[in-house]
Amino acid sequence: MVQTKKLKDGSRQVILTGKQYDVIKKVLSELATKTKASAILFADMSGQLISQRGSTEGMNTTVLSALAASDFAATSEMAKLVGEEAKFKLLFHEGEKRNVYLSNVGDNFFLVVVFDVSVTLGLIRIYTKKAISDLNSALEEAGDEPELGSIIDSDFSTLLGNALDDTFK
Amino acid sequence: MFINWALQEINLKIVFYGPGMSGKTTNLEHIHQKLDPSLTGDLVSLKTKEDRTIFFDFMQIEVGRIKGKKPKFNLYTVPGQVYYASSRKVILNGVDGIVFVADSQPHRMEANIETLLDLEGNLKQDGHSLDNFPWVIQFNKRDLPGAESMEVLQKRLNFFNVPSFPGVAVKGEGVFDTLKSVINLVVQNVQNQL
Repeated sequence: MVQTKKLKDGSRQVILTGKQYDVIKKVLSELATKTKASAILFADMSGQLISQRGSTEGMNTTVLSALAASDFAATSEMAKLVGEEAKFKLLFHEGEKRNVYLSNVGDNFFLVVVFDVSVTLGLIRIYTKKAISDLNSALEEAGDEPELGSIIDSDFSTLLGNALDDTFK
Repeated sequence: MFINWALQEINLKIVFYGPGMSGKTTNLEHIHQKLDPSLTGDLVSLKTKEDRTIFFDFMQIEVGRIKGKKPKFNLYTVPGQVYYASSRKVILNGVDGIVFVADSQPHRMEANIETLLDLEGNLKQDGHSLDNFPWVIQFNKRDLPGAESMEVLQKRLNFFNVPSFPGVAVKGEGVFDTLKSVINLVVQNVQNQL
């Protein structure tokens, strides 16, 4: 299982292990090969990009992930307004040259598939569905969970403070 | 907070909240303008024709590696106008720290209070609360004639006694102090909870 902790103040902390990250990269590569998608992103619902495949040069994928997460958030509000009790599972944006297919992976993650209009939507749907199921299994698998205390210690905050001072000079 | 162990990345989400026209976007614009371009990504603004934020502004900043870890800060603003309530709520998803940008002008006091209550309401839905969440206040527009005294602003708005900073965001005053303070609070908060 992806290590997701709810802190005392209610904030969510998600830790992805190295093994899980490797599986994600593999699943995305397979999906890219099979669908010939131009770009594939895997991100967290808070808008955090986790991994990407395909020709993403010249594409600001950090921003794309933030926008896609907001797209999900906005449509889930829309779902409530129109009386849909669950969240919308997928979003599709149709363009003249490129289409974008967005699908959630569990409650906390999602996939963005950018593809040429020459690729059929059916093909994208089939392979994305398989990728989602593979991603879900990888995310559910127990990993060697690193201790957060070993990442953020008091030394870390002092050094971060100094780095911020340097950066914000 | 999102940690990618394989890439040793620590991602934090900081949201700038506040009433309409209080200077949230101006804070981000100043940060974007002043930081070394190698440390900051594009600033994306979803604005209306009238230059008001309709959904959010977003940018990511980095500070290099620290003990081998790469902290990244994702900065968002929310639209301040009352009618964009749902946009504000969705942007708070996964938030780690908040900067409340208050408007120092006396006639905006009610708007400040109303937005603070709106923030508290939205946080509660996610199980957070203003009395134990990492957040700071920036009293912006200190340069305007007739700005409310700091004492009154503190008394009316800072009832949880969180770190607060006077600011003139258009000139960049107080912008980095505010940002640094909220980042420190978030990191301290993580340590306290270990």
